[in-house]
Amino acid sequence: MFRKILIANRGEIALRIVRAARALGIEAVVAYSEADRESLPVQLADEAICVGPADARRSYLSAPAVISAAIVTGCDAVHPGYGFLSEDEGFAEVVRAHELTFIGPPPEVLERFASKEATRRLLAGHGLPMVPGSNGMLRDDGHALEEAERIGFPVLIKPSAGGGGKGMRMVRSPRELETALTIGRSEARAAFGDDSLYMEKWIEDNRHVEVQVAVDRFGHGIHLGERDCSVQRRHQKLLEEAPAPGLSPAARSELCERAIRAVVAAGYENVGTLEFLVDRDGNYYFIEINCRIQVEHPVTEALTGIDLVAMQIRIAAGEPLGIAQADVVSRGHAIEFRINAEDADADFQPQAGIVDRFLAPGGPGVRVDSHVYSGYEVPPFYDSLLAKLIVWGPDRPTAIARSRVALDELLVEGLVTNVPIHQALLANEAFLEGRMTTNLLDRVGGAAFLAAAARA
Amino acid sequence: MAEGAGRARSGSRSKTDRLADHDAIERLADELLPALMAKLGASGLGEMEVREGRWKVRLRRPASSQEASGTSGRRSTDRPSRAQPGHAGHGHSPSAVEKHRPGREARAVSSGNGARPNDGASAPETLPAGRRTVATSPAVGIFHPRTDVRPGAWVRAGDRLGSVDVLGVPQEVVAPVDGVLGASLVESGDAVEYGQELVLIELAGVTSGGQGGGSSGAAEDA
Repeated sequence: MFRKILIANRGEIALRIVRAARALGIEAVVAYSEADRESLPVQLADEAICVGPADARRSYLSAPAVISAAIVTGCDAVHPGYGFLSEDEGFAEVVRAHELTFIGPPPEVLERFASKEATRRLLAGHGLPMVPGSNGMLRDDGHALEEAERIGFPVLIKPSAGGGGKGMRMVRSPRELETALTIGRSEARAAFGDDSLYMEKWIEDNRHVEVQVAVDRFGHGIHLGERDCSVQRRHQKLLEEAPAPGLSPAARSELCERAIRAVVAAGYENVGTLEFLVDRDGNYYFIEINCRIQVEHPVTEALTGIDLVAMQIRIAAGEPLGIAQADVVSRGHAIEFRINAEDADADFQPQAGIVDRFLAPGGPGVRVDSHVYSGYEVPPFYDSLLAKLIVWGPDRPTAIARSRVALDELLVEGLVTNVPIHQALLANEAFLEGRMTTNLLDRVGGAAFLAAAARA
Repeated sequence: MAEGAGRARSGSRSKTDRLADHDAIERLADELLPALMAKLGASGLGEMEVREGRWKVRLRRPASSQEASGTSGRRSTDRPSRAQPGHAGHGHSPSAVEKHRPGREARAVSSGNGARPNDGASAPETLPAGRRTVATSPAVGIFHPRTDVRPGAWVRAGDRLGSVDVLGVPQEVVAPVDGVLGASLVESGDAVEYGQELVLIELAGVTSGGQGGGSSGAAEDA
């Protein structure tokens, strides 16, 4: 097991990893940028080391800075968190070249799953159903049109690299195709430095369901159930819950079993998430795999009682899983709310500034993962996630009732947050009936959604 | 300089005397003062006086800097380095966290590596801006100072003072301003973080007043 690890991330996930490391008896060093000097993970870590200026390219995204920090502080492993360098196989390789361990899949596994297109081919070969899509990358506009007509409109244009919805475009007719390709290419180039695009059939009114897996170095793998992440705004997840409301228990376990069988066969290692689209009829299609710990992992932790970050660290250290599929028991229902500093009245603009007062809710089944404290200044350079509120109940109605109480209790003064959106969701008929689809919020519009909830 | 005052009193003195005075003043300003400034900077003393022949030089820190010494940020204790393995973290209660919020501007000249002998006592760690500044680390890595430039030497803005080794690639530490090289705040071979204060620079342009006339010639730090 590791003695001391470097956490190359910020915000709530840096704190989450500090806690997991501590619980395992590992010293935690937080690598931070100048803008995060006063942040909670920096203050609570065993050690903290400034690796660069606010600009993430020179701090959280700088492999030399992060690795140098790990070496001079005497760490034996690096935890990349999510985002930043978490799925960068080049970084993982350099980490290993310096005789440090990358906490995540080994570099060659990251490389195998780096291209979404190649991953889909690989996992299709191991029995996962795929959304009908283009054969390989779109070579040019002519090729794109041919493929779109073969698949049938509407189609979705997606970048091969990256995620988070950047560069994705839905196209309903041949007329819109050329513009969508141009914009998609330039967005993908700007965001990921790679403008290759592919195409998929657009599945109307889909749900986003993902399966959490864990595979040790010895090829022993388990799934830890699924999560429904259909509540999204412009492809950004807002709320996640488990079990997925739209699937029967039989359908859920079939999906999870197929997912774990496929990734074990494909040689995956460490914790990961397989994302699926589920259509109106309950057909599911694999979209992509996330080779990292995810923002919404606490939903699964709430159901199973398993510490996924600790599991990730232990697997990276070469330990066996130590549990079998039968040991994973899922209880009740859990919902995670991403509390973001953003203003719904100003087109969800991220907010920065001082949080004058912060009070986290409590009570049975309530967990808050947050790096915020009263007086903390949210820097303007990074994402707007302030906190994750995770609420568990023995069943969905209880979880929802507890969530209402917790959201009312949560106090964030000084910044505008998206708490009203969450409260509106908990009053929304489609959500209460478990009928949310990924496009619902955008179709209605954030402001209209809030107004409807206010009238109800 | 005390050119005017010198001229006013120089009526009865020979040209040779005046030239000798000018030479002496020049030597004071160019050689003795920089060395003294560096010494005072490194010592933590409030005042320093040196006599040589007819001349006397007294350097004094402004009183305000003494008061400010107590506020030197806690950062001095949580600089990560090999010298402090297993630093046990800080208060975990939100109130403790709040108490420990040093303003970004108020970061004091300090070192976590115990390089300064008088650290902790009443050492005046801050000087008003414009008197002293500090060369900071451009990266996280291992610090190696230049061995051919010693405290007391004049340096120009942009001069290389040493390097920080990042995975075998040296990143230059440069003087941010013209001035006199002061004490080093970290030892050669120490681990340093980005932005860490490494080497003091006593600012150039600090005037020294020289007075002619044998009676009480005093060149004081203005």
